[in-house]
Amino acid sequence: MSDTISLMRNIGISAHIDSGKTTLTERILFYTEKIHAIHEVRGKDGVGATMDSMELEKERGITIQSAATNVTWRGHGINIIDTPGHVDFTIEVERALRVLDGAILVLCGVGGVQSQSITVDRQLKRYGVPRLAFVNKLDRTGANPFKVRDQLEAKLGLNAVMAQYPIGLEEKHEGVVDLVTMKALYFDGGAGETIREGEIPESLVDEVQKYRELLLDAASMFDDELMEGIMEGEVTEEQIRRAIRAGTVANELCPVFLGSAYKNKGVQPLLDAVTGYLPSPGEVENRALDIDNNESEVVIESDAKKPVVALAFKLEDGQYGQLTYVRIYQGTIKKAGDLYNVRTRKKFKVGRLIRMHSNHMEDITEAVAGDIVALFGIDCASGDTFCDPSLNVSMTSMFVPNPVISLAISPKDKAAADKMGKAIGRFVKEDPTFRSYVDEESNETIIQGMGELHLDVYVERMRREYKAEVDTGAPQVAFRETITVRADYDYTHKKQTGGSGQFGRVAGYIEPTGNDENYEFVNEIKGGVIPTEYVPSVDKGFRTAMETGTFIGYPVVNVRACVNDGSTHPVDSSDQAFQTAARTAFRESYMKAKPIALEPIMKVSVEGPSEFQGNIFASLNQRRGIILASNEDGMFSVVEAEVPLSEMFGYSTVLRSLTQGKAEFTMEFAKYGKVPQSIAEELREKYEKARKEGK
Amino acid sequence: MVREELIRRSPLRILEKSIHGGVGVGNIAVIAARKGTGKTACLVHIATDQLFQGKHVIHVSFASRTDHIMSWYEDIFREIARKRDLEDAMTVHDDLIRNRVLMNFNQHGITIEQFLKSLRAMIVAGGFAADTIVIDGYDFEAGDPESLRRLRDFAKELKLTLWFSASTHREQSEVDENGVPMLLHSYLDHLAVIISLTPEKKHIRLRVIKDHDQYRSEGLHLELDSKSLLIVSE
Repeated sequence: MSDTISLMRNIGISAHIDSGKTTLTERILFYTEKIHAIHEVRGKDGVGATMDSMELEKERGITIQSAATNVTWRGHGINIIDTPGHVDFTIEVERALRVLDGAILVLCGVGGVQSQSITVDRQLKRYGVPRLAFVNKLDRTGANPFKVRDQLEAKLGLNAVMAQYPIGLEEKHEGVVDLVTMKALYFDGGAGETIREGEIPESLVDEVQKYRELLLDAASMFDDELMEGIMEGEVTEEQIRRAIRAGTVANELCPVFLGSAYKNKGVQPLLDAVTGYLPSPGEVENRALDIDNNESEVVIESDAKKPVVALAFKLEDGQYGQLTYVRIYQGTIKKAGDLYNVRTRKKFKVGRLIRMHSNHMEDITEAVAGDIVALFGIDCASGDTFCDPSLNVSMTSMFVPNPVISLAISPKDKAAADKMGKAIGRFVKEDPTFRSYVDEESNETIIQGMGELHLDVYVERMRREYKAEVDTGAPQVAFRETITVRADYDYTHKKQTGGSGQFGRVAGYIEPTGNDENYEFVNEIKGGVIPTEYVPSVDKGFRTAMETGTFIGYPVVNVRACVNDGSTHPVDSSDQAFQTAARTAFRESYMKAKPIALEPIMKVSVEGPSEFQGNIFASLNQRRGIILASNEDGMFSVVEAEVPLSEMFGYSTVLRSLTQGKAEFTMEFAKYGKVPQSIAEELREKYEKARKEGK
Repeated sequence: MVREELIRRSPLRILEKSIHGGVGVGNIAVIAARKGTGKTACLVHIATDQLFQGKHVIHVSFASRTDHIMSWYEDIFREIARKRDLEDAMTVHDDLIRNRVLMNFNQHGITIEQFLKSLRAMIVAGGFAADTIVIDGYDFEAGDPESLRRLRDFAKELKLTLWFSASTHREQSEVDENGVPMLLHSYLDHLAVIISLTPEKKHIRLRVIKDHDQYRSEGLHLELDSKSLLIVSE
């Protein structure tokens, strides 16, 4: 491993809303000497924190989009990736987590492990991201870092161990004792920039000794030398550090650090822990999918000399055009070098190559594996993989889930219309799960996404960032239709009314694919009964028919359409004739194939005090939910269920009133499921009625 | 093979025959064995068999996380489906899942009142009409007969059958005069059926220790296949 890569860190800062994530980030930027004044998150001076560049985030006090910022700390380059915490932004979260090698889990010293900390931690676990805990706000009334450590163990199942001991809590919080060096650390100067080492206060010596032993015990599991050292009564700082690092990198130990970012305490030792205990990109194994080999996994290496593999994980509109953030997994990206976009299959040349700092950008000529940089003026979408033209691998599956919810939006005036169009164009590029189209019948713009909140955020962003005022309709569930049995068709399209006629005959069958494939076209034409040039027309005809099913009027999915016979006319057959023939053939055989209605089913997770479990179970049951699991640990329960999306509108209000506001829920798309008979009939009636009125 | 035949030919029918047709509603059965002998596999197989019959099962675990238990069910289902060449396995699988709920507790952090309250909440408020509850990882050493009596009353009231697993330690290998592991001796009044798992040369043998009011120590013609972790007839 080269020196450069061992000195790199790519980290995320994850937290519950209001545990002080933004303040902590701000302080980190300050201490790394990149910015020179500290602004509060909702600051009186109106400048706001540097990382949250979006107005909306400032207002809500939360961070929605990931941005990468490079800082330098004691010879190490640290890229800080802002991670969105909410499950509704699935694609965003997944992308941000993909590019992290380690994380700081920020917890409020008073609130401790809150429901969202659990969500965030679960996401980190899913991606196997090693983490440090930082217990913040120790200056607040009721702060208790020991309780928070207990919760890390009990609620998150982490092997959490104190790496520091607090010197005073609440208004008496002065600093921390480093349990490795056994020194007291105080933070002097106007903004805590000067660290003063001192002896451990007399009154704390016994307790500190106790916690040091706990730390040594926990760490010794990861280093034999330390284990021996403890038995012989002689351990070195280096042994302890090595052991903590080994445990943390292996994701089996979570050292806990303390402080108060707001009061400028404990931030620099946390930075030391980031460089000391979190892994460098070279220590993390990454895998890509081999497109030429059925998306099978291949290991890629953080080797600067190998061909490039990089992931575009975030796009941003800058003053000078589109900025694309990439994480390089393998090889070296050079200015003016060639790269290949795996999705679009297009080669392009690297123009400007940029390293982003919190307040300025730096032009660079090359960047190596492990690093996070930005490219200018590249036409691409978030989630695209760029690689050396000799490779064809992708960092993400090409599979993008279909949106499950749609919302009609209309601009309030002419000016808003243009801005809205611009905003939508941008969002579609950023987020493949966000889509938009114009409904032909109502002439309304429809936006589609993965959940209510997902769309809410984009509507908000239109208002804030693009100043586009829009009216929204009621959210609509994206139903689907599919068939359940095979049905044969044999249809002749014939028309001879003046001019040239139209003729095309197609025969074959449609059947359920029985897998996740939305549509398969099978050509079993023999002897050229349908000329080769018209076979694609048949395919196209089926596709058109599937856009709107005739059962409830929604798109048809999971159909295999096979054509195995037909006839042609030397003069009257045409592309158009065969398209029409296939389309009509599909519609005529469709009802024979026993269609059913499908609806999006969400995986819902409700977290709250156990005393409300009965209410939570009942509320899910009433919503046609299937309870899959319930995890109860003392006073706290997590219930997991699958619930149809159509039943989930307004659930947050209901849940709040059922649980005195003490429970929260998250949901994400799970699958499409069959709509119950009675509801399918309602949908069918509505569709039939609309069709009759339309005629 | 279709579902009905699969149920009929399940080796668990042999088990039922040898305990007078089954454990019975309102009763408690225990599978006792040393750690790592295959108790969870047995419980999951028994639960899956119930699910095949269209019954509703709550799987309670005091030890594993629910995602862990889910993969147990996936594995056991896959093995059964493959072995019996089950028709339309995916549809059957989805059916089964609808009738199964997993509940995970921390035994040392919960009282029997809370535990029963949560089960009742699931069955009554959650509208989950459970027939069988399997309880894995209950610590009989830390537990008490009174809790078990209350569980049995609960089972009688809500017409449930309860299956437990009990971990016997190596140092407690001694048994009482009826062949019952000492660990379960004080619980005997509340247990209708006790089955033990004993490792033999190649397999793990199922043995009926207590069959309602009879004590036997009879090896069944059933064993746990160490590869598939399914109960099979020899």
